[in-house]
Amino acid sequence: MERPEWAPADVDLSRPSVARAYDYWLGGSHNFEVDREFARQALAAVPDLRLVARANREFLHRAVRFMLDEGIRQFLDIGSGIPTVGNVHEIAQQVDPHSRVAYVDIDPVAVTHSTHILAGQPNAVALLEDLRHPEAILDHPEVRRLLDLDRPVGLLLVSVVHAVPDHDDPYGLIRRLWTALAPGSCVAISHVTTDSRPDEMGEGARLSGRTNTPVTARTRAQVEDFFTGLDLVEPGVVWSPLWRPESEADVGEHPERMSFYVGVGRRR
Amino acid sequence: MNDRPAADGADDRPAADGRGVGEFVTAWATALHRAHYVPISAEQRHRIVTGLADRVVTAVLAGPGGPGEGRRIGADLVAAGFGSPEALGGTIAVLTSRLLGDLGVAADPTRTARLNDLLAELATGFTSAAHDHSLRAQDTVRLAALAARTQAEEALRVSEVRFRRFATHDQLTGLPNLTLLTEQLGRLSTAEAPTDRVGVCCLDVDDFAAVNDVLGYQVGDLLLREIAARLGALADGRFDLVARLDSDRFAILVRDTTCAGDVVKIADRALAVLAAPFRVNGTEVPLTVSAGVAEGTVADGGAARLMRAGEIALHWAKADGKATLRLFDQDRSNADAERYRLSAAMPAALRRGEFTAAYQPVTALRSGRLAGVEALARWRHPQLGLLSAARFIELAERTGLVVALGSQLLEQACRQASRWQRIQPGLYVSVNVSVRQLHRTGLAGEVAQILDRTGLPPHLLHLEITEQAVIDLTGVVTQTLAALMQLGVRIVIDDFGVGYANLANLRSLPLYGLKLDASLTRPSAQPARWPGARRPGTDDDFLGTVVSLGHRLGLVVTAEGIETAQQAHRLTAAGCDNGQGWHFGRPVPPDEITAGIVAQQHREAVPPGPELPVIPVQRR
Ligand SMILES: C[S@@+](CC[C@H](N)C(=O)[O-])C[C@H]1O[C@@H](n2cnc3c(N)ncnc32)[C@H](O)[C@@H]1O
Repeated sequence: MERPEWAPADVDLSRPSVARAYDYWLGGSHNFEVDREFARQALAAVPDLRLVARANREFLHRAVRFMLDEGIRQFLDIGSGIPTVGNVHEIAQQVDPHSRVAYVDIDPVAVTHSTHILAGQPNAVALLEDLRHPEAILDHPEVRRLLDLDRPVGLLLVSVVHAVPDHDDPYGLIRRLWTALAPGSCVAISHVTTDSRPDEMGEGARLSGRTNTPVTARTRAQVEDFFTGLDLVEPGVVWSPLWRPESEADVGEHPERMSFYVGVGRRR
Repeated sequence: MNDRPAADGADDRPAADGRGVGEFVTAWATALHRAHYVPISAEQRHRIVTGLADRVVTAVLAGPGGPGEGRRIGADLVAAGFGSPEALGGTIAVLTSRLLGDLGVAADPTRTARLNDLLAELATGFTSAAHDHSLRAQDTVRLAALAARTQAEEALRVSEVRFRRFATHDQLTGLPNLTLLTEQLGRLSTAEAPTDRVGVCCLDVDDFAAVNDVLGYQVGDLLLREIAARLGALADGRFDLVARLDSDRFAILVRDTTCAGDVVKIADRALAVLAAPFRVNGTEVPLTVSAGVAEGTVADGGAARLMRAGEIALHWAKADGKATLRLFDQDRSNADAERYRLSAAMPAALRRGEFTAAYQPVTALRSGRLAGVEALARWRHPQLGLLSAARFIELAERTGLVVALGSQLLEQACRQASRWQRIQPGLYVSVNVSVRQLHRTGLAGEVAQILDRTGLPPHLLHLEITEQAVIDLTGVVTQTLAALMQLGVRIVIDDFGVGYANLANLRSLPLYGLKLDASLTRPSAQPARWPGARRPGTDDDFLGTVVSLGHRLGLVVTAEGIETAQQAHRLTAAGCDNGQGWHFGRPVPPDEITAGIVAQQHREAVPPGPELPVIPVQRR
C-alpha cells in the first residue's frame, strides 16, 4: 500500500529555505547559516537582489492598500513566508481592526513562526498548506472560520507562483482558487522573470534549485495569462516598481532591473 | 523660551520658523527610506523622523537632555524599523554633513563635540539594539524550527496511527480487516502467547451479490454496515475480534476456547442476531447467512490452518443449502481433498489410457443364456489400484470430463462386443450415457462413427440413460435420441422406478427397454402397510405392475442387482425378461466373459441340467 497523501512534510534544516533567504535579503535575522550561504550566492549572481526583494515586498503592500481601498477586508495570503515587518494583517488592521487574514505557506518553519507571531490574534491564522492543492486551502476549516467566501477576498500570490512548475498546472490551480471567490475579489500576482536580465536572473533561478522551492521564471505574456478571465486593474502587468507607485521617486531609473512582473486582477 | 538670539551660546535653538529643521528632517527621512524599506507611508515616516530630529537638535544645541539620550535615539531608530547597516550609515552621513548647516548654526567646538558624542552614542545604541533585535529574531526562528520539527513528528505519528488504522481496518464498516485478523492469529500462534486454543467463525451473507444487483450497492453498503454493527455488538471480552474479510464475508476470532462448542455457541448467536429482519429505507430486506466454524490449537502455524478450516466449513455450509452453520471436520475435509485429487488426476489418466471397461453379464431369465453385457467404467489408478465407477463418475460429470471418458468407453465396448459376435452372434453391449453427453449435439454422429469403425451392428448397442436425463426433454436430447433410434441403436431407461420418471415420456420416446432399479429386485424387509389403505400392496404386486407396465408399452424389462437364486426365481416369475447381478456374474475383464461364452457353448453341447445355468466367475 502507498503512503497516503496526508503524510506530513519533513522539516529539513540542512537545506536552504527560500522563505528564510528572502527574510535575509530584506534585512531580517530569521534565518540560519545554510539560508544565508545560499542568499549570499544569489547576491553574488544578482548584486542588487536586496532591492529586487524589496521592490516585490513594496508591491505587496501597495496591492494590499489598493484592495483595502476597494473595500476588501479579508485576505488569503498564499506563500506568505517568514513574517517580517509589514505583514498583511498589520497593514490591513491599521485601516480596519476587524480585517481578517489567512496566511498559507508550505514552509513548516515559516508557518510555526507565523503562528507564534499571531498568538493572541483572533483575526489571523497561519496554515501549513500547499498552493498546489487549492481545495485543501479553500476547504480548510480555519479558512472557512475566518473568511466569508461569499464576500470579496483579497487573494495574494506574491512571489510564489514561480515556485509552481508547469507540470503542476499553475494556470489551472490559480483559476480554481479565484473561481471559488465572490465577485469583487481581487488577485495580486508577482512573478520572477529573466526577460530583462537573462544572465543574472537565470543564474539566480538556477541557484534556487538548491532550495526546497525551485523557481520557474516566466515571460510577460505567460504572466499575463494568469489573469485570463479576470479584469486586469490599471496599469496591467508591469515591472514591480511601476505598479501604482506612491511617488515618482520610488520608481527608480531602471524598473525592469527589479525583474518581477506584477499585476492585480478583479473577479467579475 | 525661544527668545534668545540664535546661533549663540550653549542653549541654541533652531531658527524660529523651524524651516531649517524641516529640511533636515526631509533629508534624513529620504536617506533612511533609500537605505531601508519600512512599510509605512511617507507621512508616517516623516512624523517618526521629525520626532527623532527634535531630540537630536535639542541634544546638540542644548546638551543632552539626560544620560544615554544618544543611545536611546539609536535604539528608537531600530525600533521604528530602520535597523539595517545602511540606515545607520545614512543617519551618520546626514547628521554630520547637514545637521548644523540646515539649522543655520555655526559648527563651534562645543556643538561639534556634542554632535560627535551624540553620533558615538547613537551608533552604540543603534548597533546594540540591532544586535538584540537580531538575537531575538534568531531565538524566535530557532524556536519556530523546533516547533516545526515537533509538529512534523507529531503529525507523522498521527499519520502513522491513521495509516495503520487505514491498513488494518475496513473503511466501510470500521471493523478490523483481514490483515489485522491474520496478524492477531499470527501473534496467537507464536510461542510467547499464553493462548493455545482458538476458534474462528467465518460468516458469509447468502446471495449478497443479488442484493447489490437488485437494490444497488448503496443499499448493499448500508446492509453491510448494519451487519457489521450487529456483529460488533456481539463482541465482548471473550470475542477478541470481529473482522470484515472482504465484500460480504466476516469473521469472528475467539480466544481461549476449550472446545469447538464454545465457538459454535458464538456462531449460533451471530446467526441469530443476523436473522432479525434488516430494514433499509423502510423496506425489509430478507437476508440469510452461512457460517463455518473451526476450533483448535494455534501453536506453530496452527492459526493459518484454523482460518482455512473455517473457510472450508463455510464452504460446506453453502454447499449444504446455506443459512446454516457447519463445524469443520477433518474426515470430511480429507474426503473432499481425496475427491479433489482424483478429479485433478483424471485428465492425465484419460490421456494415459488408465480407464478401461469391465463387463457384467446380462442373462435372459427364461432361457438362462447370456443375452448381453453391460460395460462398466474402471480406473486402473497407478497408486490406488482398480477404482469402480462410483469413485469417479460423479466427479467426471462435474468437471465435464465424462464426455471424453464416455466416448473412449463407448469405443472400447463396441470394439469388444464386435469381437464377441464371432463366438456369440447377437450378444449386445449396454453402455451408460451421462446427462452431459446426451445434451451435446453430435453424440448420434459420434456413435455412428464408432459403429462404423468397430463394425458392431447398431441394434447390439444399448445405450442406458437415467430417468433424470429424460425428465426434461429439451430439443437437443429429443433430437439426439431420435437420431440414435434412426441409427438402430437401442435406448434403455436405467434405474427405473426410483427417480421421478415422467411417464408420458416413456410413451413419446423411442425406447427399447427398462432397467429396473436394484431396489425393486430385493423385497423390502417389512411389507408397507398404510392404515386406511384397502389392501396393503406387496412388493410382488408392485414389481408385477412395473414389469407389466413395461411390457404393455412394448419394452424389454431387465432387472438389476440379483444376488441370489431366490431373487432370480422371483423376477422370472414376475415376467422380467433379463437379469443382471452377482448371482449371474460380477463385472469382469473381457477375457473372462469370453471364457464364460465358451463354457456355455460347451454345456449346450450336452443336455441341460435342472438348475438355471450360472456363468462361473472368479471372486476377487
Ligand atoms: C519569496 S517568499 C514570498 C513571501 C511574501 N509573499 C512576499 O512576497 O513578500 C515565497 C514563499 O512561498 C512559499 N511557497 C513556495 N511554494 C509554495 C507552495 N507550493 N505553496 C505554498 N507556499 C509556497 C515559500 O515557502 C516562501 O515562503
